[in-house]
Amino acid sequence: MAKVRDRTEDFKDSVRRAALNLGYDESKTATIMASFILHKTRERSPFTKASMKTLESIGALEKFLMKHKKDYLDLRRTTEQERDSIEHEVTVFINSCREQIDVLKNSINHEQSSSKGWLGIRSDNLNADTIAHKHGVVLILSEKLHSVTSQFDQLRAIRFQDAINRVTPRRKLKSGIKNVTESSNSNNFQSRGNSEVREDNEVQAEPIRVQQQVLDDETRALQVELASMLDAVQETESKMVEMSALNHLMSTHVLQQAQQIEFLYEQAVEATKNVQLGNKELSQAIQRNSSSRTFLLLFLFKYKNCRRFGNGSIDIGTALTSPYLCLIH
Amino acid sequence: MALNLRQKQTECIIRMLNLNQTVINPVGGGGGTANEEVYKILIYDRFCQDILSPLIHVKDLRKHGVTLYFLVDKDRKPVHDVPAVYFVQPTQLNIQRIVLDTSRALYDSFHLNFSSSIPRPLLEDLASGSVNSDSIQRISKVHDQYLEFVTLEDNLFSLANKNCYVQLNDPSAGDKEIEEIIEKIVSGLFCVLATLAVVPIIRCPPGGPSEMVASLLDQRLRDHLLAKNNLFTESGNFTSSFQRPILCIFDRNFELSVAIQHEFRYKPLVHDVLGLRLNRLNVKGEKGGMKSFELDHSDPFWMANGLLEFPEVAVEIETQLNKYKKDVEEVNRRTGGNAGAEFDGTDLIGNTKHLMSAVNSLPELTERKQVIDKHTNIATALLGEIKERSLDSYAKMESEMMIRGGIDRNELLSVLRGKGDKMDKLRFAVMYLISTESLSPSEVETVEVALRESEVDTSAFQYVKKIKSLNISLASANSASRSNIVDWAEKLYGQSISAVTAGVKNLLSSDHQLALTRTVDALMEGKPNPESDSYLVFDPRAPKSTPGSSSSHLKGPFKEAIVFMIGGGNYVEHGSLQDLARSQQPVKHVIYGTTEILTGGEFVEQLDVLGKKMGLGSSDIAPAIK
Repeated sequence: MAKVRDRTEDFKDSVRRAALNLGYDESKTATIMASFILHKTRERSPFTKASMKTLESIGALEKFLMKHKKDYLDLRRTTEQERDSIEHEVTVFINSCREQIDVLKNSINHEQSSSKGWLGIRSDNLNADTIAHKHGVVLILSEKLHSVTSQFDQLRAIRFQDAINRVTPRRKLKSGIKNVTESSNSNNFQSRGNSEVREDNEVQAEPIRVQQQVLDDETRALQVELASMLDAVQETESKMVEMSALNHLMSTHVLQQAQQIEFLYEQAVEATKNVQLGNKELSQAIQRNSSSRTFLLLFLFKYKNCRRFGNGSIDIGTALTSPYLCLIH
Repeated sequence: MALNLRQKQTECIIRMLNLNQTVINPVGGGGGTANEEVYKILIYDRFCQDILSPLIHVKDLRKHGVTLYFLVDKDRKPVHDVPAVYFVQPTQLNIQRIVLDTSRALYDSFHLNFSSSIPRPLLEDLASGSVNSDSIQRISKVHDQYLEFVTLEDNLFSLANKNCYVQLNDPSAGDKEIEEIIEKIVSGLFCVLATLAVVPIIRCPPGGPSEMVASLLDQRLRDHLLAKNNLFTESGNFTSSFQRPILCIFDRNFELSVAIQHEFRYKPLVHDVLGLRLNRLNVKGEKGGMKSFELDHSDPFWMANGLLEFPEVAVEIETQLNKYKKDVEEVNRRTGGNAGAEFDGTDLIGNTKHLMSAVNSLPELTERKQVIDKHTNIATALLGEIKERSLDSYAKMESEMMIRGGIDRNELLSVLRGKGDKMDKLRFAVMYLISTESLSPSEVETVEVALRESEVDTSAFQYVKKIKSLNISLASANSASRSNIVDWAEKLYGQSISAVTAGVKNLLSSDHQLALTRTVDALMEGKPNPESDSYLVFDPRAPKSTPGSSSSHLKGPFKEAIVFMIGGGNYVEHGSLQDLARSQQPVKHVIYGTTEILTGGEFVEQLDVLGKKMGLGSSDIAPAIK
């Protein structure tokens, strides 16, 4: 990359020469030169300190995310619970950062509103530029947080994608097995029906065998019930996964639209405000117009009266009013 | 290693925004904790605003911690706790303003960056001013950035020196004024070379402003290289295979026709007709409101199709639109189509997957649509202007004139009496003067009469006539391309885009090369060539004692070139040089720069001014009795 020329040394020389020209003595020149080396550490305002802290925490959040990214994404390294716990931690962290940013924003608004109480005179600290700067700081912080959270969202999207991919083949497998069990169950029922008919013929001879049959039937019935419940549960699970994926989809992408809608709304509000101001101006102009017209009429009337009662000498007033009088007549 | 000027300039600016410390990588390193001064305010003047606007957007500024940005002239209020980064030109006015700001303690600390080297006297003014007001402790650093040029694309820059051509060719200009202008040009070129960190071999045609600029630049570089910590110490990695580029300096009078001619390619058309400035364009939208577009390296359509002829661009837009529609249909089909089938639980998962992939591809699709919309708007606006002024016929006839070396008298007069606004006719008439080899005075008379009938101010015409009569070489004739003749297309009046697409073929011969391109090609090749042999050579690195005899590496084939045009250039030359660079084997790189980027109309206005200064031709002369 191209180098840049540091002219600070040249500047220091010029400063020394200027100080000598102005007749500063040695000690004063020395203090001036010393100020180059020792920078007075200015006391930072609480706002700046708070914003620095928030920046630090967002940086820490990003580092945390980077560290656990590999663990989170790789299916073999972590279990579902660990992934959930990472998500939970990150969410808590994000919330705290957001709160800090909100606190900063509220402090700006609070300062703005409280200062207006003092006869509308703003102190040096609260001029328009400083307020704009503070808003800028808050904006930078929120943009940074937004970028970190979008990274996190991407990780979560990958996780959902994996989950859905995992569930889909299982469902296909599951539905295949379900068909097989159904057909085997129907076979069982049929065979059971047949054996029941046979048994009816020999019912008296084997009461123990009948009991065994009944137990077997019960077991099989329980099995079928369990299998169907398992199916139902798995279907619900996959539906839940889908719902959370859709939810995630809606929240990230629809949120973007919401921001745009909010922006449009604010613009509309501003436009109405401008229109109101415009209306006010117009009405004022109309008032002025009408008042000036009445004034002009009075003026003319007065001159006309003077002329009537005067001795008919031509003065400037008549010369002025004559064209108007022509118009009026 | 390709020279990418825009990237280098952007890097320098970002470094400046980070208070000239080495940029800390936020992911690996401290992420803002190590650097105490994260939030800053940026202050610039008008010239530096032009430098910054094609390179950085406002949201990128925020990425580097800039919360507010102001013009230095504006009335500003104090903001505590923040450092201020100033990026201004070193002028007396700016220095006074800075001294005022420091005395009023507007900001905590001041980091001053000047776009070119601040001269000693101004530095002393600054020093004495701040000592007087006892505000030395606020000024932290003073830097020379060497960034006093505007980069529009990766390989296109301009020095934004207004009216350079007028000042250089002004008959009443004294030595001192000419020296001042040459000094400004050289300082701008020096900044470009410092940003690229190369010391090229300089070649220029003998005589004229180009020689003055070349020798002064050579001197400046030599002096600078003698200093120990100069800006050009090469980084050790590339010294072995590092080949120096060649810097070719030309004067506008070398080839006047290119600056005046009507062109029919997309980029020059947009610049000429719609007024592209600093990569920004204002176009009347369909609903009547003004829309502002940005056309730069982030627009893939613009980059890919900027040098195509206008009808081809229209075809390209349609192709892209059809592709987009197809993609959108496919996305719709995959996600929405299943609603028709019976609502089956098993299909839901597949639906969600498709939905997710569709939503992911949505941003890309919307972006593509925006680009297509933008260019459709631009093309529609262009088409309106072209139809109204029949610019296509102007372009065609002018290129015919250049190739043939003359034009039929009736054709000439019919064009002058036909469509087109005054500037178009004037440009056509001047092109006629330049291209016709042997001018008959009677024909020139009729042309002047025709111009006056259309109420066109003929000062520019008179000026060019005078120049030609003084036998100053205006345009190296297109001797090399005489053999290639274009297919004549029919005249187009009031037809839609599709008709234009269908009807026009090869409006301009693709082999018609500019003299500039031919010369640069010859210089880069390094083979003996009658045109370029007479050119002077300057090598700032060579010791002064070795006279003219050139060492082999001075004339060998060059892989990279920087071409500079004094007096004004345009997108046509830039495009032609890019074509040259791309067509070579292996691909070469050419950077094109000029003192200012002018449309044909603006250049003819400068000729106008010169004509009036010489007291030639005015529009008050009564037209001849018909």
